[in-house]
Amino acid sequence: MSRLPWWPTVVFFVALTSMPLWMHDGYILQLVFRVVVFAVLGIAWNFVGGYAGQLSLGHVAYFGIGAYAMTLSTERIGWNPWLGVVLGAVLAAVAALLIGSITFRLRGPYFALSTIATAEIIRVLVQNQDTLTHGAVGTNAPLLFQAPDLDAKFFFGAMPLLGGAFALATWIHTSRFGYRLRAIRENEATAMAVGVNPAVDKLLALIPSAMVTALAGSMYASYFSFVGPDTVLNIEISVQAALIAMLGGAATVWGPILGSIVLTLTAEIFKNYFEHTHLVVYGLLLVVVVVFLPGGVISLFQRRWRFRRQAGPVGARQ
Amino acid sequence: MARILEFEKVSKRFGGLLATNEVSFHVDEGEIVFLIGPNGAGKTTVFNLITGYVKPDAGTIRFAGQDITGKEPYQATRLGIGRTFQVVQPLPALTVRENVMLGTFLHHRRRADAAARADQVLEFMGLRARADQLASGLPLAQRKLLEVARAIGTGARLLLLDEVMAGLNPREAEEVVALIQRLPEFGITSVGGVEHIMRIVMSLASRVVVLDQGRKIAEGPPAEVVRDSKVVEAYLGTRFVAGGAR
Repeated sequence: MSRLPWWPTVVFFVALTSMPLWMHDGYILQLVFRVVVFAVLGIAWNFVGGYAGQLSLGHVAYFGIGAYAMTLSTERIGWNPWLGVVLGAVLAAVAALLIGSITFRLRGPYFALSTIATAEIIRVLVQNQDTLTHGAVGTNAPLLFQAPDLDAKFFFGAMPLLGGAFALATWIHTSRFGYRLRAIRENEATAMAVGVNPAVDKLLALIPSAMVTALAGSMYASYFSFVGPDTVLNIEISVQAALIAMLGGAATVWGPILGSIVLTLTAEIFKNYFEHTHLVVYGLLLVVVVVFLPGGVISLFQRRWRFRRQAGPVGARQ
Repeated sequence: MARILEFEKVSKRFGGLLATNEVSFHVDEGEIVFLIGPNGAGKTTVFNLITGYVKPDAGTIRFAGQDITGKEPYQATRLGIGRTFQVVQPLPALTVRENVMLGTFLHHRRRADAAARADQVLEFMGLRARADQLASGLPLAQRKLLEVARAIGTGARLLLLDEVMAGLNPREAEEVVALIQRLPEFGITSVGGVEHIMRIVMSLASRVVVLDQGRKIAEGPPAEVVRDSKVVEAYLGTRFVAGGAR
């Protein structure tokens, strides 16, 4: 981060991490756990969608790969679920390499559509594979932690993931690699004229993005003890990942965290009053942000903190 | 003198149009060579062929003795060929300094080093005061200078300037001419420039290559080339020979 002092980051992480120690309401902890997992998702999406400007709408593929790899390796070969988490990240990296080398040949809206297609292919395959994946019915996911105090343990388990994703984002934000990604986002022809190889750098952004997404996926599935094509391979998760990053501020370190707080909490509030209206809320929030806050919620703070503005509206340039 | 660029019988066809038709020319180290010709003559295509944005159908392109035919644009940049675009392409959401840093990052891994080098280049180009502004806020003349600064930042040995002076007023153009003449300070010994403004070509070029409809129709020192009857017919018009600059 450019001009934000270091201490708010420390205060934020200490306050958040210590939460299970002073907050014993299981519902609130569960809600904040979801905020954290989706913040991780938004941060990971940001590498590709924010910095490199490639509007992926297929990140649920990696989320699902993480969830299913953990579940099936535990269930079918009797692995320790944590080993399954690692397997999920590795498989997500392999999938990213394959999916990326195909989809990155396309530009703009065509790229976005191709990412939806690849994620849907994986969902349909899983849905129709009764013997290995339990098909459309889904199955129980293994617990990564043992009772009692599951809420607190999962919460503590998710925090290193957020910390790691945040550190990776901070590095990308200020590194040479991050500048190369921004160059690709702004103008690929110019990026090549300064020696950037867009094909390689897009893949190098997608691979860690997919791995972090897979880790979030296995954590999420284990917490809710369930994997199924309609939950961990639901396209809604792809949309949320993109929306959270854009809502908070694409190509910023704090944007996805703010975005996850805003989106998860508003969706939750509306879900309690009207069923399924949270989907309407996503749509409305997106419209409001694109029209009134193209830099995301973070742009409200940037003026105050004199952050340097790095991000524009990602979608607008596609 | 060492050949830095050799362009040998290069042809490129776009559908029914031969954009370049067996064009050959070379650039020696330390030279300033200009490509001129009417619109559609194939000048920008030649630049795109050298930098790999367009792949030739036939012919060979060598840079500093190495065959670079068909190389990718980023490879050409890394070898030491810098270019500007005819339609300026700054990265609008980045600051002026960051635009140049994209180039200097090629040779400086650390951000601080890349920024320091970028500031040197900006100082040279007279853009230092604008370093922290977003590139989108620059007026056209300075965006053109920024294009040049970014190309210099890559550590280019050969700089291809594509109509860098078009759209500038005479005073601004003079400043750019002065800068081009000082480019050896940055280790840039050769400049190939596509330029329509003949007065500038006359004052800068050591040699001129004239293209018309994809073919090379003349080559030589500017003073000789402007008297060539084929050049006059294709491009300059008779009034230029009578002595008036355009």
